[in-house]
Amino acid sequence: MDPKAAGTFPAYEFHVERGKIREFADAIGDPNPIYRDAAHAAQMGFPGIVAPPTLLRTFLYEPKAASEALRVKDWSYIVHGEQEFEYFAPVVAGDLLTAQDRIVSITEKESRRAGKLQIAVIETTFHNQRGEKVQVARRTLVETGKRIEA
Amino acid sequence: MTTGKPLFESIKVSDAPAPLVCGPLTRTHFVRYAGASHDFNPNHHDEVYAQANGNKAVFGMGMLAGGYCARLLTDWLGQDSLLRLRIRFASRFWPGDVLTCMGWVSAKREVGGKGLIDCEFSAVNQAGEVIIRGDATAVLPRGSSSFTPDLPFPSLPG
Repeated sequence: MDPKAAGTFPAYEFHVERGKIREFADAIGDPNPIYRDAAHAAQMGFPGIVAPPTLLRTFLYEPKAASEALRVKDWSYIVHGEQEFEYFAPVVAGDLLTAQDRIVSITEKESRRAGKLQIAVIETTFHNQRGEKVQVARRTLVETGKRIEA
Repeated sequence: MTTGKPLFESIKVSDAPAPLVCGPLTRTHFVRYAGASHDFNPNHHDEVYAQANGNKAVFGMGMLAGGYCARLLTDWLGQDSLLRLRIRFASRFWPGDVLTCMGWVSAKREVGGKGLIDCEFSAVNQAGEVIIRGDATAVLPRGSSSFTPDLPFPSLPG
């Protein structure tokens, strides 16, 4: 990784579709009707079918600007160390979200097991179509000095 | 709200929901999550690639285990309680593994009149090895009396 990588990257938009919510809930084996049935979600006090807590990570694989700015030589040396979400308002089916990535920090650490580590934190802030901040996601990527048996 | 989620006043440090058992997991679970989550790292779906990279087989996505643990928390605390969720990836899991997700209340605190709890959670495999661990903060509804205000008062005997 480039230890000087930094910056805020162009915002991108995506729709939160009810079919994607259902597909995601099926994939994590969660049968809750709040992820499938708008009437049930309304009864529970939500304006629509609810996004599961970890769904928005799904929309962060495609935008490449932040990860390209890290100038990683070999992604097979990169480990996803940590993923964090902060929740400010519900995300529901039909929302149009705007996301923006920012490289928060790149730090170095010595590890006896894996050699020199570089640790990058990329933060994504999500706003909905009303301009409300709904979530912040932070992913921590660790580049190891040598391949490790996880 | 009509959820059965716990009240701030009644929840205690070390309270825990019933563990959530997921599996035995198969390659199909991983492929299904790959499609749903857009995580197309070939280590999770391409056995030839995964083995060429020194893995005994394809292995599951940390975020899949994270999704299981998030479900543990939302089943327990409701869908609008979480303020923060952090997942830390500790080890890999494989086809045939059974993951057990567990959580517990680690702290209770009041911030600006709101009742918050901090939780820790983990998913372990059938050998007890930690696959992911994490922590979360949630806001719980407050109940000042044993009556639920929006229900009619019970009629008094006699």
